[in-house]
Amino acid sequence: MILKKLKRLTALLCVSVLTISMLSGCSKDPTGEEDNLNSTTNSTTTGQNANTFTYAIAGDPGSNVNVITTSDRFGLMTIKMIYSPLLMYNADGENWFLAKSVDVSDDNLTYTFHLRDDVKWSDGEPFTADDVVFTYNAMKDEKNAGWAYSQLVYDQGSVEITKVDDYTVAMTMPFVNASALEMLSNIFIMPEHIYKDVTDFENNDYNMNPVGTGPYVMSEYSAGSYVKFTKNDNYFLGTPNIDNIVFQVIENSNTAMLAIQSGEINAWIATPSEVQQMKIDENNLKTVAYSEGRIGYLMLNANRITDEKVRQAILYALNKDEINQACFLSSENYETPWSFIPPGNTYFTEEIEKYEQNIEKSKELLSEAGVSGLKIKLAYGSSDPVQQKQAVMIQEQLGKAGITVELAGGDATAISNAMKKADNEYDAYLGGYIMGIDPDTFASLFESDAAFNYMHYDYPEIDELFEQGRKETDPEKRKEIYTNLQQAIQKTGCFYPITSNKRILVISKNVTGIEEAKLVPVYTFEDTSKLKMK
Amino acid sequence: MAKYIVKRILTAIPMVFIITIICFSFIHFAPYDAIDSMTNPKMSQETIDLIRAKYGYDQPLYVQYIRWIQGMLGGNFGYSIVTHQSIADDLVTRIPNTIKLILPAYLTAYILSIILGLIAGSHKNKWPDKLIDGLASIGIATPTFWVAMLLIYFFGYKLKVLPIIGMHTIGMEDSFVDYIKHFIMPYIVLTLGFLPDSIRYVRSSTITQYSEDYVMVQNAFGASKREIMFKHVCKNVLLPIITKLGMALPLLVTGAIITETIFGWPGIGPYFIKAIQGMDYPIVMAILVLSSTLVILGNLLSDILYCITDPRIREMG
Repeated sequence: MILKKLKRLTALLCVSVLTISMLSGCSKDPTGEEDNLNSTTNSTTTGQNANTFTYAIAGDPGSNVNVITTSDRFGLMTIKMIYSPLLMYNADGENWFLAKSVDVSDDNLTYTFHLRDDVKWSDGEPFTADDVVFTYNAMKDEKNAGWAYSQLVYDQGSVEITKVDDYTVAMTMPFVNASALEMLSNIFIMPEHIYKDVTDFENNDYNMNPVGTGPYVMSEYSAGSYVKFTKNDNYFLGTPNIDNIVFQVIENSNTAMLAIQSGEINAWIATPSEVQQMKIDENNLKTVAYSEGRIGYLMLNANRITDEKVRQAILYALNKDEINQACFLSSENYETPWSFIPPGNTYFTEEIEKYEQNIEKSKELLSEAGVSGLKIKLAYGSSDPVQQKQAVMIQEQLGKAGITVELAGGDATAISNAMKKADNEYDAYLGGYIMGIDPDTFASLFESDAAFNYMHYDYPEIDELFEQGRKETDPEKRKEIYTNLQQAIQKTGCFYPITSNKRILVISKNVTGIEEAKLVPVYTFEDTSKLKMK
Repeated sequence: MAKYIVKRILTAIPMVFIITIICFSFIHFAPYDAIDSMTNPKMSQETIDLIRAKYGYDQPLYVQYIRWIQGMLGGNFGYSIVTHQSIADDLVTRIPNTIKLILPAYLTAYILSIILGLIAGSHKNKWPDKLIDGLASIGIATPTFWVAMLLIYFFGYKLKVLPIIGMHTIGMEDSFVDYIKHFIMPYIVLTLGFLPDSIRYVRSSTITQYSEDYVMVQNAFGASKREIMFKHVCKNVLLPIITKLGMALPLLVTGAIITETIFGWPGIGPYFIKAIQGMDYPIVMAILVLSSTLVILGNLLSDILYCITDPRIREMG
């Protein structure tokens, strides 16, 4: 009896195990993806001496990357490896890639780019002006919903892109815009001969088998694990020094911290407190801090704290140095911003109201405004350790000036959604942004009726200054306008920049050439081909 | 019996539909806008509206639901709104990875827990019971992520004998030894995670059986301890444990979310976590529906298993 039962049981177990193994067998069915990927690596160097640089990233970039539709950080890092833009525009100015130079017409409307004539796509086809025209037209086509659409299409019209000859492209702005070159930069060029019949750039077979002009070629993708790149021997800025680069996906930062110390990975972005926990020197590592032009801020809601004096009183009670030291441990890890423009930017000025801590003045302003027992509700992202610390310190500092702070921690996304509404329940919020280089790129946060103006203030003079700055092309006059603008925004007492924190790259000591490769926002390295590994 | 099974299957279908409605509306009521994961402050309102229309988020809720359910029924789970990858393709590569990890771990824990549970239950309040039950209690209270970090710290970092991340060393995808090296730590963590709960389950059911009248009768007839254990108690203990196997079905997808995330194992865990963080709704919904459907299927499977193995229930049906 028992035996019979047991037999039946084992049979059942076997069946269930079989079904499951069949399931897993099925899924291995070749979708053709891997084979296709391998066939595109026409310039592989997988010799035994090939060196591999492994960079840990916190999310899967996917293999379906496209220069028009990809806009997430890890996807863009992948794009940067396999494609090249005309030029990159970063805090240190222009860096030329597929274009050699640009001429600006006398009316400041037409930008004529002179392209390199020695560039080949990774499938051997020559790169020409047609590819540039094709890509920019795809980007400004409404139906593709490209990430840079609003850089090319304005209320006044859209940028006209015309081929002058095979290696010259002219782009005409619809109006004089001082930040035009920045708007036209950082757009990666895709091959027309591959994509010309594609209607859906987001999902198509070509995305999985990219043909690019970048320093590397995507050679392997393993979902959730890694993306492997092999060097492009024909890269127009010289053959890359490192044979293979791998983006290894590690979601858990504790794991990444041990993996980099054990040598399993070569580079990783860490927070200051993580760096403090690591044995950097002992494990042959080094740290490099670089700025992404980020500003972490405290914003006051002008809809709820309507009196300018009260807002200023709050800001006078704060001490940002104290907060930054507590959050970032060392002054190497951050810069101190005084206005909405990050330090290091050419338009950044210190000739403004800095709201340096002055408790007496704060109390004075409060009594002038006739306010006592002020209570404010501060929203912050409760899963962000930096914002947690900032919130607690703000509460303590304001407490000394007799202002009570109610901490309202919550989900960061939920809070930023609430912030967008003019009638939200918060008096103040903590947040951060990374915008462009030109001060005009900040307009979407600071113009009175801007979509992302969380302060909900209404100052026509600020809008007027943004308008003037946009049109002005003389650098001296522009500088003056933006100095006035920074002063005007500081005066409102709505905006208090706390920190411009840096990203900290932890990297193996045997990796050199980081300076030549340049550390830049989003992509980490501006040109990975310059990295060297011993 | 066939009638009973058909009846159970028929009641399961509307439940799956209700679950899809619940998943869909809950996500809709979350204080987010799906569009946020695709836009940034640099984009103008027009660009954002364009993207919204492109993905159909400007349509009324019921239209969105019908479109979505149509896709799901046709096996089209949609596309990630962050990476634009096909979700069905992603699941097809990731679920087997998860199963490869969970199935061996669960079966090991299952067999070990039957053995240890029977030993503990048959020696109630003696030292083997106290030892096993004590360890199981500690095990229940120990978080798996902590055990995982300890293993990584000692074997991966201090001793450097095992690799920390992933399923394969890059370029060694075909090496079985390499796979086992990557497999061993998460496997131990998961086995330890599944074990305590099952041990206590087997133990308590063994104790219950020992207090039944038939055991006393057997004792009175002078049956040996062995005979009672293997001929009578064991049989009755194993019945409910078989049904536990059915209930474990959803574990195959969502049983190792934390462990996988820690070891960078390319399964469902990191995929799901990233989707939640990145507000990648289509992925979150697909996995929610998948795992809740598996819960229903698991229950169904338990009932059927019970029905097959226990003649009493078979006759009732």
